[in-house]
Amino acid sequence: MKASIEWQIATVKAVHPETHSVKTLTLKLPNWQRHRPGQHYDIRLTAEDGYQAQRSYSIASEPEREGEIDLTVERIESGEVSPYLHDVLIPGDRIEVRGPIGGYFVWEGSRPEPLLLIAGGSGVVPLMSMLRHRSVAGGKIQTRLLYSSRTFDDIIYFAELERLQGVKNGPKVYHTLTRTQPEGWKGYARRIDRQMLGEVAKPLGGSVQVFICGPTLLVESTADELVGLGIPAAQIRTERFGPSGPA
Amino acid sequence: MLSDTPLDVSSELMLDANAVAGLLQEVFGVEMTVVPAECAGCGNRAEIGTLLAFTRGPGIVLRCAACMQVVLRIVQTPDSVYIDARGAVYLRLRR
Amino acid sequence: MPDRFVSRGFTGRRQQPDQAARLPPGQYLTTDFPVLSAGPTPRLPLDRWSFTLEGLVKDKVTWTWEEFLKLPSRTFEVDISCVTKWTKLDMQWEGVSVDTLLEHVELERNAQYVTAFSHEDYTTNLPLVDILNGQAFVAYKYDGKPLTPEHGGPARLVVPHLYFWKSAKWVAGLRFTEKDRPGFWESAGYHNHGDPWKEERYG
Repeated sequence: MKASIEWQIATVKAVHPETHSVKTLTLKLPNWQRHRPGQHYDIRLTAEDGYQAQRSYSIASEPEREGEIDLTVERIESGEVSPYLHDVLIPGDRIEVRGPIGGYFVWEGSRPEPLLLIAGGSGVVPLMSMLRHRSVAGGKIQTRLLYSSRTFDDIIYFAELERLQGVKNGPKVYHTLTRTQPEGWKGYARRIDRQMLGEVAKPLGGSVQVFICGPTLLVESTADELVGLGIPAAQIRTERFGPSGPA
Repeated sequence: MLSDTPLDVSSELMLDANAVAGLLQEVFGVEMTVVPAECAGCGNRAEIGTLLAFTRGPGIVLRCAACMQVVLRIVQTPDSVYIDARGAVYLRLRR
Repeated sequence: MPDRFVSRGFTGRRQQPDQAARLPPGQYLTTDFPVLSAGPTPRLPLDRWSFTLEGLVKDKVTWTWEEFLKLPSRTFEVDISCVTKWTKLDMQWEGVSVDTLLEHVELERNAQYVTAFSHEDYTTNLPLVDILNGQAFVAYKYDGKPLTPEHGGPARLVVPHLYFWKSAKWVAGLRFTEKDRPGFWESAGYHNHGDPWKEERYG
């Protein structure tokens, strides 16, 4: 599909903390184009002397919200772009962006198959765009999210995910906390493994469409296990974030 | 996507071609990650989005997820973009 | 010409060099050691490692790992520049000078170029004169420790006076040729020679 994705200068409308290391930026775009859930924008920073750094960030918001997008960004200490987005950028600032980009890792709910979303850490961001779209569009397709985080405080969008779950036809959300769990925790408490995937995925049947997003290692092993459980590789789409999310 | 490469720190740097979707679109003028490509090494046919991307280096290298051979190599210079597609038997772009 | 957009308050992760004279044009100083790769890191068991001098030589010679470690080695302190714009100063390596390796072969008279090839699918080409007289070595230690796979271990070629893509990681040998054979990056847009002081980045 031909789409113009020229660089444009967006304005930061709001900055909203999600967790201690994750923030959501709301950007107003002069040339907003309706995106597809799962797509991303490229951000480019330019210093006075011309030095540039560029990174990609998944769109967190639903396409139904016109004129603006949410990008949820994890602050990576050794990163070059995310510390700037966290420490320097404030509402009113302008920032160069390009997008929406991507055609492979998208879901719009036009197919009837059940949907399984698997996230590691900030890999939940593009999947959140899918869930928000599904909610706004009134989707009824059977949907589950399996979301791996280190600790409870690291879970992004926790309250909103609870709310989505409580709605009729809402997605079922399964959390797993791999490092520490709060008292009384009833969810999973270990790295994603075949048994966990079997429990979460099996009820969705063999025609399930799967989207996995997160650190490369999690994505690789999860995809392998799902194939081992009999899900055809062609039904699994992945987005690897590298060692620990985009920098 | 399911290769035999043992995973290690450097493999963590391995992404999928989504990571270069913006560049590919800029160069080819169309969204490329859904374009089918046939690997000249092993004949595996898959969408470009499934290729494994190594983006931290002098250029971008996209490798076949089945056999790890280079399918596309992209080098950006100040005035050009070099695309070496010897590793692909074809790329199929729909009208 | 419209002003280029500048991001308020962005400087990037660069250091202000007080050693500006030691930086080739267009380079930034780095204090870490970035890992850059064109492919997955190979895990080479030492009992299957080898290093070979071949091509236009009278008799091909191959060393196993044990044999290689017995060769006279020394430390090298050099500056390294990568074409992706980082330069690292005073890097400490330990290994065998290419001059020492060449004592074990007799080069044919028409050997003018070298292809450094790795245990992966990587090659890079150099004029023979660029690896003689102390200009190149095969390193197996960095900073006093065995070279890690991410940085090219068990052993890599190091040619400090050229851009670092010429310093082939996981080096398996040198092939001497009459004609120049552009390698992995040289055949895809990068400069055939790669001198950072002349900013020979692109072809």
